[in-house]
Amino acid sequence: MPKITIDGTEIEASEGRTILQALDDAGLLMNGVDIPHYCWHPKLAVDGSCRLCQVEVEGIPKLQIACDTPVQDGMVVHTANDRVKAAREGVMELLLINHPLDCPICDQAGECKLQDYAYDYGVKASRSKEPRRALKKNVDLGPTIVFDQERCILCRRCVRFCREIPKTGELAVFNRGDYSVIETFPGTPLDNDYSMNVADICPVGALTTKDFRFKIRVWFLEEVAGICTGCSNGCNIHLGVANNKVYRYVPRRNDAVNDTWICDAGRMSYREIGAPDRLRECMVRDESGRLAPTGLDRAIEVAAGRLRRLIASKGAGVIAGLASAHATNEDLFTFRRFLSALGSETSGVAVVRGKADDLLIKEEKAPNGAGAREIGFGDARTVVDRISSGGIDALITLGHDALHESLLGSEKPLADLDTVIVLDTHASELQRVAHVIVPVRHAAEKLGTFVNVARRVQRVVPAVESAWETYADGEVLAKLGAALGLEGFDGSYDARQVARDLAAANPAFVGIDLDSVGDTGRLLAGSAASGAER
Amino acid sequence: MVISKQTRSKIDAVIAKYPQARGALLPALHLVQDEYGHVSKECAVEIAEIFEIRPVEVMEVLTFYNLFFDSPQAKHHVYVCTNLPCSLRGARGLLRQLESQLGIKAPGETSDGRIFLGHEECLGACGYAPMMRVDGQYHEVLDIEKAKRILDSLGE
Ligand code: SF4
Ligand code: SF4
Ligand code: FES
Ligand code: FES
Repeated sequence: MPKITIDGTEIEASEGRTILQALDDAGLLMNGVDIPHYCWHPKLAVDGSCRLCQVEVEGIPKLQIACDTPVQDGMVVHTANDRVKAAREGVMELLLINHPLDCPICDQAGECKLQDYAYDYGVKASRSKEPRRALKKNVDLGPTIVFDQERCILCRRCVRFCREIPKTGELAVFNRGDYSVIETFPGTPLDNDYSMNVADICPVGALTTKDFRFKIRVWFLEEVAGICTGCSNGCNIHLGVANNKVYRYVPRRNDAVNDTWICDAGRMSYREIGAPDRLRECMVRDESGRLAPTGLDRAIEVAAGRLRRLIASKGAGVIAGLASAHATNEDLFTFRRFLSALGSETSGVAVVRGKADDLLIKEEKAPNGAGAREIGFGDARTVVDRISSGGIDALITLGHDALHESLLGSEKPLADLDTVIVLDTHASELQRVAHVIVPVRHAAEKLGTFVNVARRVQRVVPAVESAWETYADGEVLAKLGAALGLEGFDGSYDARQVARDLAAANPAFVGIDLDSVGDTGRLLAGSAASGAER
Repeated sequence: MVISKQTRSKIDAVIAKYPQARGALLPALHLVQDEYGHVSKECAVEIAEIFEIRPVEVMEVLTFYNLFFDSPQAKHHVYVCTNLPCSLRGARGLLRQLESQLGIKAPGETSDGRIFLGHEECLGACGYAPMMRVDGQYHEVLDIEKAKRILDSLGE
């Protein structure tokens, strides 16, 4: 393996990598070794168009671009000497000649590489007396993205993204030189399942998402590491939080899961968190048959009363549990323990399936189907079949995915049950048949782990506090278990402790707890490590 | 099909000359423009099909070269060279005067669509500067009178 020396530090590089790639592989780029760059992106082909990444390589008279200079054994590179700095200043001055500098009204301000590098390498005033290029400011590129031609620095990241990642290739550079602009073919908008990633990789404010633009200044946002719950890929994200509200999801790099991308549907799923149809209070059905709001204690009491009565008359065999693939492992392990302690024999996890592709989007439209199965929940069909054959009198369901046409189809098959207890985040038709409803937390509001499709355990932490009274599913089940006097239930729930209990009880989870998973996750025991694991 | 059979077979013939079909994209654009005077959106789509690339990639090439047109053009094309030697010999003034005679700004065309006036970089005739190219024909050692006469003599 070639060894190269960068600013006096020797690093080992892999054969065939360029200087920037080698630094990125070593985790040093912009993290110890700062080589400013616009066009190079770790997950896109090398372009070499912006010239900002120039460095001095001993033995080569001219400065070389670090993004496209392959490493060679014994190479000695200087990234911060005066010559290199002067070259960067030159590039920045040229880039700024035509830039509108409308930062005060630009949504990228605060996370703009042009601002950052201008601060580091910019000259104070432009020497150019020519008029700046006047171009179109508000080009509608498609359903998700708005384009400001004046701000574009023509790094072509967006063009390469569309060609290389979703392979839809909507964007191109039209015209030449001074007249170059990014365009789509007339009548063919930028419209693919991953389109909004172009706004993340655009180093300037040229591409912004219609959804997020002008909502809030980014410096007010706290970026909380989390996981997208849109499907079982479990893409790593940052939740942008301010005023106890989630304003956006953006991808968080994890080369073993989602590289630097997320799909548009997943990105937009942040809207579930504060959606108007979130359940906000506990409800129990009163004698008149109407659902009436109540507190958690009363809800638990009613639920426990109904279950106790059934157990006394028919035994716990008539109680079924439907788990949700949206619940965390900690919730699900608590549910598992609850159902066993109760003596229920029927359970399963409901998972809604949909379209998948060969990039990120997976068939299971929930983050934790794999975790639920690992914890012992089988297919929800078993539950559905036993309900239709009349063997079930009470159902405890987490979430409402079982209403999907592939399972129950509607709430009707549940209409005749003696007792339906619902723990859910959002309103659904279950409200028509439920006897007790307890609002529970969204993944953005709680601590726990999910297992993704590749058996990677990943963590979510509370990014916001629920705006109304909600509980972790595990917490509700722990209280219900205590109310029923079940063995091993004292009414308390601590996700950290439950994670440790799970690791002790289930060999697949050995060594995994809420700290050891870290921000980038860990594979379940016995999983073949994927190539990208590092 | 917008592109005629004859042009299509000429395109196929040039493609055969290149190790990679894509190498024949420029000649193909020329062939289409020769036939229609410009390369329309419909033609670009068809060329993309022939070359098995995306229409937007055809547009990249089409718009890169300013001798390809993606919309119908004026009848006559007048390009005044404004590169250094021609400029030293008065080309910029010449261009301004032609602009005011035609009542337009270069690059641009007269409202009747008769004449397009633009400027051009060095056309390799510096020894006879200033010069302009009118419908592919070079006119050299110009002065304003001579240039006006040439424009006047252009047909409708
Ligand atoms: S729009 Fe942004 S990503 Fe695309 S070329 Fe311009 S600056 Fe680069
Ligand atoms: S692919 Fe799945 S996990 Fe990733 S962003 Fe999309 S919905 Fe979320
Ligand atoms: S990052 Fe190397 S040339 Fe742009
Ligand atoms: S500069 Fe005009 S022809 Fe060369």
